[in-house]
Amino acid sequence: MTFLMITGRTVNQGVTVENKTSAEYAEETSTCFMHEFDMMELGLADNDPVRVTGPCGEVVMRAVASVEVEMGTVFVPYGPYANHIIAAGTHSTGMPDFKSHEVEIEPTDEEPKTVHGLMEDLGGLAYDR
Amino acid sequence: MIVKDAVCPFCGCLCDDIEVEVEGNRVVAVTNACELGKTKFMGEQRLKNPILRDGNTWKDITCDEAIRYAADMLLSAERPLLYGWSGTHGEAQCVGVHMAELIHGVIDNTSSVCHGPSILAIQEVGHPGCTLGVVKNRADLVIYWGSNPIDAHPRHLSRYTRYAEGFFLENAFRDRKVIVVDVRKTETANIADEFVQIKPGGDYAVLSALRAIVQGKTDTIPRTVAGVTKEQLIRVANLCKSAKFGAVYFGLGLTMTRGKYKNIRNAIELVSELSRHTKFTISAMRGHYNVYGSNEVNTWMTGYPFGIDFSRGIAFYNPGETTAVDILARKECDAALIVGSDPAAHFPRKCLEHLADIPVVQLDPYPNATTAFCNVQIPVAVTGIDAEGTAYRMDGVPIRTRQVLSSNYPSDREVLSKMYALMQEAPGR
Repeated sequence: MTFLMITGRTVNQGVTVENKTSAEYAEETSTCFMHEFDMMELGLADNDPVRVTGPCGEVVMRAVASVEVEMGTVFVPYGPYANHIIAAGTHSTGMPDFKSHEVEIEPTDEEPKTVHGLMEDLGGLAYDR
Repeated sequence: MIVKDAVCPFCGCLCDDIEVEVEGNRVVAVTNACELGKTKFMGEQRLKNPILRDGNTWKDITCDEAIRYAADMLLSAERPLLYGWSGTHGEAQCVGVHMAELIHGVIDNTSSVCHGPSILAIQEVGHPGCTLGVVKNRADLVIYWGSNPIDAHPRHLSRYTRYAEGFFLENAFRDRKVIVVDVRKTETANIADEFVQIKPGGDYAVLSALRAIVQGKTDTIPRTVAGVTKEQLIRVANLCKSAKFGAVYFGLGLTMTRGKYKNIRNAIELVSELSRHTKFTISAMRGHYNVYGSNEVNTWMTGYPFGIDFSRGIAFYNPGETTAVDILARKECDAALIVGSDPAAHFPRKCLEHLADIPVVQLDPYPNATTAFCNVQIPVAVTGIDAEGTAYRMDGVPIRTRQVLSSNYPSDREVLSKMYALMQEAPGR
């Protein structure tokens, strides 16, 4: 199913933002908040993994029902998971389309990667001492 | 020891009434701060010492070695990018601008992926703004548009708007109305007197409709505009016109959506039209505690607020060309110095793929997502905790942050000054 993906700040994202190697930061920023009817349509229960495919790739997140989002829209806290599929075009403003990406969402059996995992996929080297 | 009136270095509210209890060199309790500020003060996940990537491992190096590495990297680069700057103090930002000029680099701050579009709009039509104190004491109507302060600026409501006392308001909680405009029914929407829910991407149309109503052209408005009924639009316009003093605070819901700076321009022009009926102001909900300061420092030193390119030997500014996301996505820069931000967590993946291909040095107290792309990371003191320095609040008021404990970490200014001195001494400079 096609959804509009909006990214934004949450308290939990802000609380963990200075501790990006923590499991809590990964959990918060890999959460895909959805309308419960959309989740029913896709056969999803809370915390089920979903594959979210954007214009430049795909990433696995976890679906969580939220009363804040409308049907057809999903909300993902700012962070490396959403940015893994966001395009870099800025329409000559410097600002990517962080709140207006169309994405495809489907259930999956895969687990979300860690933040380190995502960074290593792109050529980085995790520092975890 | 209890430090009173400490300044919180998290968001643009820069709350200056924090009490921090320190035992030895640790913060053990924080009073008055929100959850975001408290966690930052209590944070202990610091990087212990400078690190260098050595193939597929990391090794510890000294601070002097790390500074030398950074200076050499920047001196040998043809198009270095100096990015970040919102999570540090003004004195360090000054050194950053001098450094960018010396090496003919590009210096950009996080506002290019935050309120950069707001600044573009302000450059077109001006900024009818005011300080937070004026809003607290006078505003009887506050509009949060595309902004969710309960999550992003938790004390904005209690210090300045919904739950704040007002000198010129008899009963501020009763007399001050709050309107929230958003595509999501956020926690902030739940405490509003009026919630206007817009279909995603519809902000520009709703702003235009409100402008038409304020101008007396109500007949031109269709039954609904971007999901908002004509009745509600008229009600909101009337609330605005009948207010004695209105204040609009907008967030990234306007800057990051389709239309970007044109949304802000329309909002500023609505405020300008409302000011023909009553007093109205508009301001941005700035995110990082000193992102505003970064715009100020850049502007007074170069004439431009962000995205400044010194490759011509003079300051050149062209957002979309000289901004960090574009430069990285075009694989243009050949070295990057990152200070006080974490682009690997907040930039699109294409930018990170280029960061992986070039030498990167980062100044940051914590291991973060960008650490994975660093050749060298230098841990520094946290401004407002173990370093002091000047920061600008979201309304442009400069506030001196305080040092609440001492540590062995150098401040950003100290590290950058040493780096800059080495670069000035280099042959040919």
